[in-house]
Amino acid sequence: MIEARNLHKRFGKKVTAVEDVSFVAEDGIITGLLGPNGAGKTTTMRMLYTLVRPDRGTALVDGVDVVQRPEDARRALGVLPDARGLYPRLTAREHARYYGELHGLSGAQLDKRVDELLDLLDMREIADRRTEGFSQGERVKVAMARALVHGPRNVLLDEPTNGLDVMSTRAVRTLLRRLKDEGRCVVFSSHVMQEVAALCDRIVVVAHGRVVADGTPDALRERTGKDSLEEAFVATIGTDQGLMQ
Amino acid sequence: MMRLSFSVFRKELRDHLRDHRSVLTSLMWPLIGPVVFLVMFNMLASWYRQDRPLQLPVVGREHAPSLMAFLERYGAKLEEAPENYEERIRAGSLDAVLVVPDDYAESYSAGHTAEVQLVVDSSRQSARQSVMRARRLLEAYSQMLGNQRLYARGVVPELAMPVRVAETDLSTPERTAAGMLNTVPLFLVIAAFAGGMQVASDTMAGERERGSLEPLLLNPVPRSAVVTGKWLSTLAMAVAAVVMTLVGYLLVVQRVPLEDLGVKARFDAPAALGMAAAVLPLALAASAVQVWVSTYARSFKEAQTYLSLLMFVPMLPGMVLALSPLQPKLWMFFVPVFGQELLAGEVMRGEPLGVLPFLITAASSVVVTVLALAVTTRLLTRERIVFGRG
Repeated sequence: MIEARNLHKRFGKKVTAVEDVSFVAEDGIITGLLGPNGAGKTTTMRMLYTLVRPDRGTALVDGVDVVQRPEDARRALGVLPDARGLYPRLTAREHARYYGELHGLSGAQLDKRVDELLDLLDMREIADRRTEGFSQGERVKVAMARALVHGPRNVLLDEPTNGLDVMSTRAVRTLLRRLKDEGRCVVFSSHVMQEVAALCDRIVVVAHGRVVADGTPDALRERTGKDSLEEAFVATIGTDQGLMQ
Repeated sequence: MMRLSFSVFRKELRDHLRDHRSVLTSLMWPLIGPVVFLVMFNMLASWYRQDRPLQLPVVGREHAPSLMAFLERYGAKLEEAPENYEERIRAGSLDAVLVVPDDYAESYSAGHTAEVQLVVDSSRQSARQSVMRARRLLEAYSQMLGNQRLYARGVVPELAMPVRVAETDLSTPERTAAGMLNTVPLFLVIAAFAGGMQVASDTMAGERERGSLEPLLLNPVPRSAVVTGKWLSTLAMAVAAVVMTLVGYLLVVQRVPLEDLGVKARFDAPAALGMAAAVLPLALAASAVQVWVSTYARSFKEAQTYLSLLMFVPMLPGMVLALSPLQPKLWMFFVPVFGQELLAGEVMRGEPLGVLPFLITAASSVVVTVLALAVTTRLLTRERIVFGRG
């Protein structure tokens, strides 16, 4: 479970990236962080996964404070961050193994875990190829494999389907549903309405660094009095930016 | 913590060794020193070779038979000078030509000072030895004749020589050799910097530019362990470069005609070990500073530029020491880089040193290392460093 409490972050004196963001992401459901570009989604995510220190407020990952105990929080998190660069001279399997080692796995346990992941992500064929020249879809799979190698209870994904074709997008969706069915807490951010509508049990709409709506898709429609989620979104943030892919 | 650092170290080294091009670049530097050394020594040796007889072409041999006999008796090989001897001296195919003028015999018999000409090109280093030998022989002949004339008039020749200059060469063979070998410490220290340069720029600046630094830092690994692992991989390459340079010198020294130069160099296995003990601790500091610089740089390219500039740090004091070796004082060993170059030079010259200079230079390296690693670890907690600066 992830709990954001009044997160606030400024860069320099003038730019306020995140004004005040609070929400709770429960286990066993998919929570979507939806908002137009520049709404503060990435900064919020970075505060959740401990690489950016909030100026005010904090977040709890399974009850662990990300500001007080960042290393313990990272142990409970699997993250697909905004930057998902790979090492072109290492194979897909070596990527997963490296991150596994950094999570303290070793020996037979590590081998088993890496094999499971390669099966789960359907990447047996590319497992022992160097990642140089991988397609976008293959690259995301590698990034997923290394993010999930330690079997985290909570999964954070920053715009996971950005730049992917239809098949790869479907594969990512299937994976997220599977993680949800396993009872994990899944949070992903997106600026694409359809993406969020297709997957989420719960939507947190962020605009100008604040949470402007928070609830199930049905609740969101009800609150704004609009029939379609799309209309509801526009009514909530007051602009149609982010509706197009 | 140690295990995590080792994981990072192993990954970085494997990653780097698969990049054949940059590995070759790193290892090219260490080879430059020994190769330059080999070429220079062979050239010097051919200039200074002593056992070669003096070749002296002469114009007008018939005018001075007794002088010719004297020269031949002292080992000069005389021959008729070719027509175009001036050109050939300028071109360097002849070292010197002796010209005996037509009136030589006349002046000689009359008891005047008879003149001979030695035609040389003083700007040619390679001719210097021959010219000096020819001049010495001619002066010896002149002195011999002068002494005979004084005797004939009942005068002791010593009267005409109030002062005689006797040269005593204080330089031991080892010292002379060290004069030539002075560039060795410089190249060893350069190797300590050049070896790790490629890994250092890739492991930090490259990691961020690739977008893999953010995911890496998401692992539950202390920043210090990440920095330590990356530093160790840089260090491994630096140590490899220094060891390769040393081995290169050892192999080259055995194939160089040092004896022809009349010098005995102390460049054996114990001396090599001593130099390794002097320079290897510097690799600790050089690698740590390189990782720091690479972390601070905005981009991969910027990191490479800074790291190339960093190579000048050892070059400046190294050149000064190679050109004019100075008497070491204890405080000098405290100065990083300079201390190591000085120490390696002293080891090579075969000076008895004791353990203290080794301990001092090692300690100064360790201080720099710890500082650089601590600063780098702190840098990695800054958001501007992790996510890059615009």
